[in-house]
Amino acid sequence: MSATSHGASCGVVLGIVIVIFLQQVAVIALSDLVPSLEYLIIGAVIGGVLGAVIGWALGRSYLARHPVGVAAPPK
Amino acid sequence: MVLAFALMGLLLNLPASTIASSASRSAAVQPAAGITGDVTWNGVDISTLGTISSALSIDFSQSANLLYKWSNVPAPGINDARLQMFYFGFAVATRDVSLSVAQTSGSWPLNWTPLSIGYVLEGVYKLTASVIAPNGTTMWSEDFYVTGNAPLGFLAVIPIVLLLLVVYEVYALVRSGRYAALGRKPAAPPETPPPSGAAPQTPAKAAEAPAEAPPETPPDTPTETPPPTETPPPAGGVS
Repeated sequence: MSATSHGASCGVVLGIVIVIFLQQVAVIALSDLVPSLEYLIIGAVIGGVLGAVIGWALGRSYLARHPVGVAAPPK
Repeated sequence: MVLAFALMGLLLNLPASTIASSASRSAAVQPAAGITGDVTWNGVDISTLGTISSALSIDFSQSANLLYKWSNVPAPGINDARLQMFYFGFAVATRDVSLSVAQTSGSWPLNWTPLSIGYVLEGVYKLTASVIAPNGTTMWSEDFYVTGNAPLGFLAVIPIVLLLLVVYEVYALVRSGRYAALGRKPAAPPETPPPSGAAPQTPAKAAEAPAEAPPETPPDTPTETPPPTETPPPAGGVS
């Protein structure tokens, strides 16, 4: 699993959870099935895209800080 | 991820009775012309609670006193007053009061204490108040919204689970950069310089070489000799 896909999976879960959480704090209503599913799908898509971007950026940052094949500095 | 799917399964895995009641509600006919109805929730007319922004703030631990009124209902009249609370299209709570004798006009009180769901749910929910004829036909209904507060404040089950999920997923997202290291190639071992004058020889070439012809070593190449080893003293030690 790459950093991008891992970030996307985390973002999808976060998007769904945030939609349900908004209902718990009385911002949106999830009483009807169809708009509720629409909210969940929209939240999952937006969260997945944002999570993939964040994961990709974090992966590049990690590789920049931990380059391949560079010898450790002498002690 | 597992917790998220478990939560979704919990939310969507409702008893078949609630699904059936939801289906019957969606199939309810429009109220016949001329029928008038009115319901008050602790004295508040529910017709003023039709939107989320105007939702009535209630406490799930306290009982609600509803008063149903109806008139101009054709015979045989009304014999059931119903209150349903919906979540994801399914009725998570239903309260029914049946009248012994059907009435074409009248009023009837309904008391409801949603304490059983108060420890689980919190937030804004749609409720439907309806009056039903003896043959099961919904003669009049009206939707309204309430904002339910859990008995222990914010400590209902679902908000706590959601908060834990958010914390865990944010932590996992922040650490997702480490997964970039899984796809890269492992670092090559450092190359050792070959002996001076000797051409580098790959293992494949070494395999092709005949066994009786060992690789030549230049004469000027100093051969390392193992250091002289001292013979250990004989057993028994020095007297």
